[in-house]
Amino acid sequence: MKKLFHLMRKRQGAYTEDRKERTEHRPVEEAPVPEYLIFPLSMHIGAPTKPIVSIGDHVKVGTLLAEKDGMISANIYSSVSGEVVDITNHPTLNGDSPCIIVKNDYKDESAEPLFDPSIELDPTKKLQLIEQAGIVGMGGATFPTSVKLSPPPNKTIDTLIINGAECESYSTADHRLMVEYAEELVEGVRILMEVLSVNKAYIALETNVHESVAIMQAAIQDHDTIEIKELETIYPQGSEKNLIQKLTGREVPPGGLPADVHTVVTNVATTYAVYEAVKLGRPLTKRITTVSGEPIKEPKNFWVRIGTPINTLIEACDGFRSSPGKMIHGGPMMGKPLTSGRVPITKGSSVITFLAKEEASRSERTPCIKCAECLHVCPVSLQPILISNAYEDGDLDQAEQLGALDCIDCGNCSYICPAKIPLLDNIRAAKQAIKAQKED
Amino acid sequence: MNGTISLNEGRLNKTPSPHLYSRRSSGWIMQQVIIALLFPTIAATYFFGWRVLLMVAVGMISSIGFEFLYQKWRGLDITIHDYSAAVTGMLIGLSLPVTAPMWSIVLGSAFAILLVKQLPGGIGRNAFNPAVAARVMLKIFFSPWITNWVTPEPDVVATATPLEYIGNFSRSVPAEVPGLWDLFLGVGLGGNVGETSKLAILIGFVYLVVRGIIDYKVPIIFVLTTATLASLYGDFSFTYYMTHVLSGTLLFGAVYMVTDYSSGALTPDGKIVFAIGCGVLTMLLRIVFDFPGGIGIAILIMNGLAPLIDKYLAPRIYGHKKRPTRENVKIS
Repeated sequence: MKKLFHLMRKRQGAYTEDRKERTEHRPVEEAPVPEYLIFPLSMHIGAPTKPIVSIGDHVKVGTLLAEKDGMISANIYSSVSGEVVDITNHPTLNGDSPCIIVKNDYKDESAEPLFDPSIELDPTKKLQLIEQAGIVGMGGATFPTSVKLSPPPNKTIDTLIINGAECESYSTADHRLMVEYAEELVEGVRILMEVLSVNKAYIALETNVHESVAIMQAAIQDHDTIEIKELETIYPQGSEKNLIQKLTGREVPPGGLPADVHTVVTNVATTYAVYEAVKLGRPLTKRITTVSGEPIKEPKNFWVRIGTPINTLIEACDGFRSSPGKMIHGGPMMGKPLTSGRVPITKGSSVITFLAKEEASRSERTPCIKCAECLHVCPVSLQPILISNAYEDGDLDQAEQLGALDCIDCGNCSYICPAKIPLLDNIRAAKQAIKAQKED
Repeated sequence: MNGTISLNEGRLNKTPSPHLYSRRSSGWIMQQVIIALLFPTIAATYFFGWRVLLMVAVGMISSIGFEFLYQKWRGLDITIHDYSAAVTGMLIGLSLPVTAPMWSIVLGSAFAILLVKQLPGGIGRNAFNPAVAARVMLKIFFSPWITNWVTPEPDVVATATPLEYIGNFSRSVPAEVPGLWDLFLGVGLGGNVGETSKLAILIGFVYLVVRGIIDYKVPIIFVLTTATLASLYGDFSFTYYMTHVLSGTLLFGAVYMVTDYSSGALTPDGKIVFAIGCGVLTMLLRIVFDFPGGIGIAILIMNGLAPLIDKYLAPRIYGHKKRPTRENVKIS
């Protein structure tokens, strides 16, 4: 019956399988800490950081390794105590790029907190702390949070949305965070509300994770300015533009930001990091990462020190039960394929997904049958097949008019296409070509 | 570490996102349509006998055969495994009365597959619904052979179809027309074999909606449009408009023809306009022109208009004020 109900409404999303059952009830456990930790100088959107340590320096947990460089950038701290042994190119999420390598001394000495937690802080100081702690959007976008929290004066903010709609398959990091750290999260929400001086916050959740919904409901009982919004489990429910539309009825203008419609959206993991920074004076040095997928023997949710190579986590999951065909940083709809287990976990690593060979392989393309499914599942109401055709015909103007630049890369069109046309590949290529054309 | 499975980095797949794909393929979708068409086929076999199965088989085999031969001859990829030719053949077999000669089915299949489907470029590129076009062609040019209506066995007698009584400006239902229940179940009814049992068609409809193959709105809007026009014309007589709804190809067309992907509209709003247009034209052809096979012509006219409808009813993109404008981009 529920399925029938689903079919009877405008979808604007896809019912991808959520595949969370293997990890959703697993408490978060400490991941083993490796001997060498790798800190890419760029683990956020924006300018890479400048290293402020040198080879041979002794560092502690919370020692600043590299400093933000420019407005849109974020500090990077060591997640272990030990010695800086190298600053060199190393495989990362973005290919080989400069990293600071720290050799763990397993003493786990902590640096001084960012401030004395007994002092009462004003909102400006709290915002500074969020900036100083190196917090970025931990849902995967990795945009510096402090920048998001300080919109230009002409853009007033009236609504804060906490994004707990973890719509990618396999990922349960945010879910576990809400189940195990609900109180801290609510504290984080209050800090964000204070910094933004808004008096309305929504926590957006998907209905498939009943446990976290119930726990969060209990945690906000005494806060009538915070409201839980349960949303249908449909992909990509957690996309920023979609959440804003569903919760406030507003639509972010083309090329615009949430601030243009008086809204800030923050992921739950980011909100927790804000709590740690502002309440405990701790910089961002660890996060929860789910490691899952068919080939993984014991999928788990980990507290991972940032800089831990994926190989360490694979080992902690007891390795593979079948041969992996694809390793993805992120979920199976939007994640980035990786080819090295030496790539470290960074601030935006919410899930590492492994897929079996058969699952990850694309079927042969056949002619379009005009089923219109790609139109139905597009969350921003594009006509993916027409953009794809325009691109294949070399008509970039047409692709742009049809809204290629409005595509949010969610992958639904390619996912659903029964003819297996690489729609998103084409739309992405069209976007790049249009942007390149404009820069000329 | 013997026996452990390692991360074989060199062999990891690097294609960009998305990394998972829905299991639905074009062939699977067409298989679902075939399954949905089995309900009216079984009902027709029950009412008209085993010849129905032969008709359906001849339609399928000749349609698949023509597609295969054409693609072989032109050196194209053979696409018969996508089952779309089988669907066309099945529809043609079900679109004719039980007295229709087998050659008419073969002729219809040749017309549908070669001229209507393959000439414009094959699946997805045909502007007109092949089975509907074949049906209209046969009705127009071969009427004496294929409008030989009979009631089902055992008392096979020549009969008129209900539509011949209620068409042509008739505003009420004469006594000769079977009752609504008989129309619904298909008892004692002449007509094209597939459209006899409305019950079987409705089961097919539910199957296609639950499987997510067709948009439930399209058949419902189409039928509601015709019912509304019929009730306006027939002074809101329930029997009159229900007779219209339950007669002829209306429900069969609503479920299996108006919903055709390739010849219908692509955009969500366009689909609604397309369905309303089909409904209005069907009633016009029924009431004003008393034309046999009016629904087929209505669908073909709307097939021709579908690209234009889509052009003006492109969905409004998130964050934009107006619908996007476009030139005539090629659809497939």
